Amino acid sequence: MPQVKIIAKNFMDMVASLPAMKLDKLYANAFICEAILRSLPPLAKKYVLQMLFIEGPVSATSMQEWVLADGVSKHQVAIDRLIQLRLFTETADRKRETTYRLNPVLQANLQKLLTCGEVLPREPMPPNVTARLPSLEDLEAFALEKWECFLLQLINSSQAEKPTNISSSMMKIFQRGLLSQREKEAPRLTESGFQFLLMDTNAQLWYIIREYISNSEERGVDPADLISFLLELSFHVTGEAYNMNTLTDVQSNTIKDLSDLGLVKLQQGRKESWFIPTKLATNLSVSLADSSSRKQGFVVVETNFRMYAYSTSKLHCEILRLFSRIEYQLPNLIVGAITKESLYTAFENGITAEQIISFIQQNAHPRVAERIPSVPENVTDQIRLWESDLNRIEMTPAHHYDEFPSKEVFEAACDFAREWNGLLWEDSKKKRLVVKAEIHMHMRDFLRGQK
Amino acid sequence: MNSVAPKLYADDVSLVMVVLDTNPFFWTTSSLPFSKFLSHVLSFLNSIMLLNQFNQVVVIATGYNSCDYIYDSSLATDHGSENGKMPALCSNLLQKLEEFVIRDQQLRKDGSGEGLPSSLVSGSLSMALCYIQKVFRSGPLHPQPRILCLQGSPDGPEQYVAIMNAIFSAQRLMVPIDSCYIGSNNSAFLQQASYITGGVYLKPQQLDGLFQYLSTVFATDLHSRRFLQLPKSVGVDFRASCFCHKKTIDMGYVCSVCLSIFCKHHKKCSTCGSVFGQAQADASGSSRKRKISET
Repeated sequence: MPQVKIIAKNFMDMVASLPAMKLDKLYANAFICEAILRSLPPLAKKYVLQMLFIEGPVSATSMQEWVLADGVSKHQVAIDRLIQLRLFTETADRKRETTYRLNPVLQANLQKLLTCGEVLPREPMPPNVTARLPSLEDLEAFALEKWECFLLQLINSSQAEKPTNISSSMMKIFQRGLLSQREKEAPRLTESGFQFLLMDTNAQLWYIIREYISNSEERGVDPADLISFLLELSFHVTGEAYNMNTLTDVQSNTIKDLSDLGLVKLQQGRKESWFIPTKLATNLSVSLADSSSRKQGFVVVETNFRMYAYSTSKLHCEILRLFSRIEYQLPNLIVGAITKESLYTAFENGITAEQIISFIQQNAHPRVAERIPSVPENVTDQIRLWESDLNRIEMTPAHHYDEFPSKEVFEAACDFAREWNGLLWEDSKKKRLVVKAEIHMHMRDFLRGQK
Repeated sequence: MNSVAPKLYADDVSLVMVVLDTNPFFWTTSSLPFSKFLSHVLSFLNSIMLLNQFNQVVVIATGYNSCDYIYDSSLATDHGSENGKMPALCSNLLQKLEEFVIRDQQLRKDGSGEGLPSSLVSGSLSMALCYIQKVFRSGPLHPQPRILCLQGSPDGPEQYVAIMNAIFSAQRLMVPIDSCYIGSNNSAFLQQASYITGGVYLKPQQLDGLFQYLSTVFATDLHSRRFLQLPKSVGVDFRASCFCHKKTIDMGYVCSVCLSIFCKHHKKCSTCGSVFGQAQADASGSSRKRKISET
């Protein structure tokens, strides 16, 4: 079974991988400091806060005294993360003692934030200019519709009723890795594509945003600028209107792309135009942290393997179709069954049993979510069993060697194969061995040398 | 996919109920001016809000005659501040605080007793617990609550029963009560509160650095407390107040039926009405010395 996993929540690693200069530049923006602080593990946050008003360096030994014996590993993780993100600078003083110091730029920014309170990135527009703003519910519906529309187009371009304005080249970038297209064949979802669909919205959003950022250089946009703008965006207030002319050119181009994803809603007034951030945008910095995000579920699985999904969404139907047989669809209900065949197709497509189970558990309807377990045990067990059925045989391309002239040559060949980590089977009595196909060439050279 | 969840929680999301002592009698005698104290506290509130987007802060003012909610971060939606200089949190809180202090003053009754009058901590604790109860009932997903008492004025022995009841309810709800005592002597009530509920009791030595105490000790979320060294209580004053004269006593009489405490021998329990027999000369029969913490 392939072990491909999409690392979607790992946005912070992406930030950490930025060159030091860019990273330091990012911290000049107070919002980024805040977003990054919030993304840290709890202990690391605590350390930053504790050191915020300490000007000098703090020695590693004295920091170790802050933690109990149980917390040493957590402590190390926190310190590593802080150094990786350059929040802490590590120095060794004369006595060769390691000391840590908070990044001075970040320190100043956070100090200001604490003493002066939070400020908004930009002032919302007065209500007399923006005549009528959509209500929060409308806005959320808008965001969801856009996002689902985008996802549908992403997985199946023909399914989307209203094609988004995202350029096809941009779509190609997003689809890269999720879809594979062989010649003269309809594009097929890859394993990671399936896994992508089973992730929650925030994780999906970050995957897309990550692709968007990593692709930015090709479009001539500095990734650091883009990251800082996206993080800043997440500190705007949902449902308020912000003037477009406060944005730079790069930012206003970006915001147009973002409106296609449902992150912002663009509106045009008589003279001015403005953008209204939706929940998706303000949640951006939330999903930075791998918080256990939950949402209202919709799936009920019964012990007889029947599945009822209370949803009107076409996307949900498509997702459920990935691993179950959809039997019929009522206006607000999708009814399906989890069968051996439907699961085998899922497994063939590279979805694992664990993913399916976690999907139905995470999306359990509130009525069944209260129960423990939310998905009947016989169903989860059976899904796992069916998966392990497929794993009974493992195939490895191999080569078989026999008729060795002497015991010594055979032993040497075995040792050689072992060294390359390619020995699959040996029979010393009959002097036969089987090696992995990839070391066949080396083996042949080796045996020739032996002669 | 369905909807972006209204609540997303990591394990360090906390709800901090801050009980703020606004007793004017205490603050006039305090070495730390109230304004300085407030600025430390405001920075502390800001830092709690900074740590996590879903953190929630509720401030309850404890006055001399009354107590009231003065700030709730979940209600503060208007980010835009009117004058543009002061952030929303500060201006909202300060305004409410001023209104509260004026109201508290108007409630003042004449004829206060001798010594420094105490604040109405029992009322504030009960309000905090009510709020927490409401949060618990709001659904399966809620932030982890804790109470922080910022207290300066001395204990009021007359509130003994009410405070103990609040402490035990907090213990039942598994809500720790942290206390930061800035008065001159230690507070027996708060020591007991923190001891019983598993919170932290701290009496800062340097009041100028109050923020550092607050951020180092009291900003720690419940999840991280399992891994961090926090101040341990050196000793707890377990003395109880008698029910009859509200005096703090070392030794006393305890009703064997309802565990009420009296400083003198009575014929009948004033709480449950049980009739006591004749007390022995050295008070050993039905009444004996008892520590309240054992109840």
